[in-house]
Amino acid sequence: MTLVSALRDEWLAHGLSTQPSDRPRAEAAISALYRLIGAPVPRFIWAPSPMAALPLVPPGRTDPYAPASHAPLASSPDSRWPVAARLASLQTDLGERLDARIIRRWSFARVHEALRATLHTSIRAPLRSSLLPPTGRTPLNWHGQHDAYWVARYDLHARAGHTVYQPADAVELALWADVVQSTGWWWPCAGVCVMAERPTEIHTDPLPNGGEGELRLHRDDGPAVRFADGEGIHLLHGTLVPEWVLTGPTVERIHGERNVEVRRSAIERIGWDAYIEQAGLRLISTAPDPGNRGAELQLYAVPPEVWGRSARILLAVNGSVEPDGRQRRYGLGVPSYFDDPVAAAGWSYGLTGPQYAQLARRT
Amino acid sequence: MTMTLADLTARTGLDVLGHLERQITIPVVDGLQAQGDLIVVPYVFVEASVSINPWTTWNDVPPAGIELLRSAAGGNPHTLAADPGTCRWTTGVNDERRLAIGMLETTAVAYLIHPEHGGTGIAPGKYVIRRQRERGDGQVWGGSRLVAD
Repeated sequence: MTLVSALRDEWLAHGLSTQPSDRPRAEAAISALYRLIGAPVPRFIWAPSPMAALPLVPPGRTDPYAPASHAPLASSPDSRWPVAARLASLQTDLGERLDARIIRRWSFARVHEALRATLHTSIRAPLRSSLLPPTGRTPLNWHGQHDAYWVARYDLHARAGHTVYQPADAVELALWADVVQSTGWWWPCAGVCVMAERPTEIHTDPLPNGGEGELRLHRDDGPAVRFADGEGIHLLHGTLVPEWVLTGPTVERIHGERNVEVRRSAIERIGWDAYIEQAGLRLISTAPDPGNRGAELQLYAVPPEVWGRSARILLAVNGSVEPDGRQRRYGLGVPSYFDDPVAAAGWSYGLTGPQYAQLARRT
Repeated sequence: MTMTLADLTARTGLDVLGHLERQITIPVVDGLQAQGDLIVVPYVFVEASVSINPWTTWNDVPPAGIELLRSAAGGNPHTLAADPGTCRWTTGVNDERRLAIGMLETTAVAYLIHPEHGGTGIAPGKYVIRRQRERGDGQVWGGSRLVAD
């Protein structure tokens, strides 16, 4: 294993850690960051999950973009700025100084992008969207372990020997590394810092087309992320779904669901065969599946009241058998102007019907 | 020369799932064929809509194979494998349908192997490999999206 992939895995492990927070280490690092912005060291309040932490954040000017209730913000950070805004500014300034020391800026871009894809896009984003209230905003916060990707990037450049940072900047980066390696999400405020523990469970599967070990959240028999207080979120292959998709998907619930990705995940839980039967979709036409001996292509009409507009579903059969000896069926959305299943199947590969009819083999 | 799935897995070092029949001879196809969410299209079918970038670099396909695409469910890849010096591959193609992931040119039989779908032979010739798409919900998916099996 190369040094770079070892470092990637090391930082990924921090991002996926389900260990209890190292509270003394996290508190020491965040206290030092408060000192760097000239703010008094805060009192720390710990919560078992981000969901439990959010209500503990004191109301007030923690959002730097919120309309000013008193004096307008000064153009550069000063003590009138909220703590969170000053910390954000501190972090940005550090990043700019570190970037200036990096000569081969793109050398670890792939690893950085992969860590970002896993920690930021696949884990942090669904956690955040399930945490956010439907209206309104939450106070500015940091994500502890899920911020590992940006610290990792600077760490990689230094540990691969590509650069040496200014001593004071190296110390400051080490503080952010301490936070990332020791805890979960946190909300810094004046006098108080609200801290959330890391999850106790994280379940993933590989991200398709990921060449650098990218992951997404996935679990089909329980929450993909679960915290010690029982809070959690459900995801199937990276799609955030309500719990009913796992525990009780029905045609009624599927048709009442606005989010098409959720609908699709739920249909796949039931199985396309069962869904088409239960939903009473109308069969338009069938044809032998070219290249897939004994299999049939079936084209169904999806009435507008089901999906909000008229559509057609092509039901096809896999060319290869599953371990249980069966051939899996799957549904494909196709344009509603098709009446011929072979032409619809051809469209799915950018081919005409007569071209697709020449399919010699499907595995 | 005939090749079985067992021969192919031994040559490439890639494995397939245990339930697939290993002693069966892998058919060699010189026309259109599909493997899961990929399709191998003879270039003559699509020469009007697929072109090669002038600056394209071709890669020799090694016996251990080139990974073309991973599938969604288990991260299982489709791999293209061939004898050294017989097959070349490029991703530098323009496809008006935006479905092509690359083009291959082979002078001997090349093989496409996937842990769940098994193996298939590609006769000498020039082919475009495309992904499958489906129509999404116009409001949410904004048209088509690619299929991941």
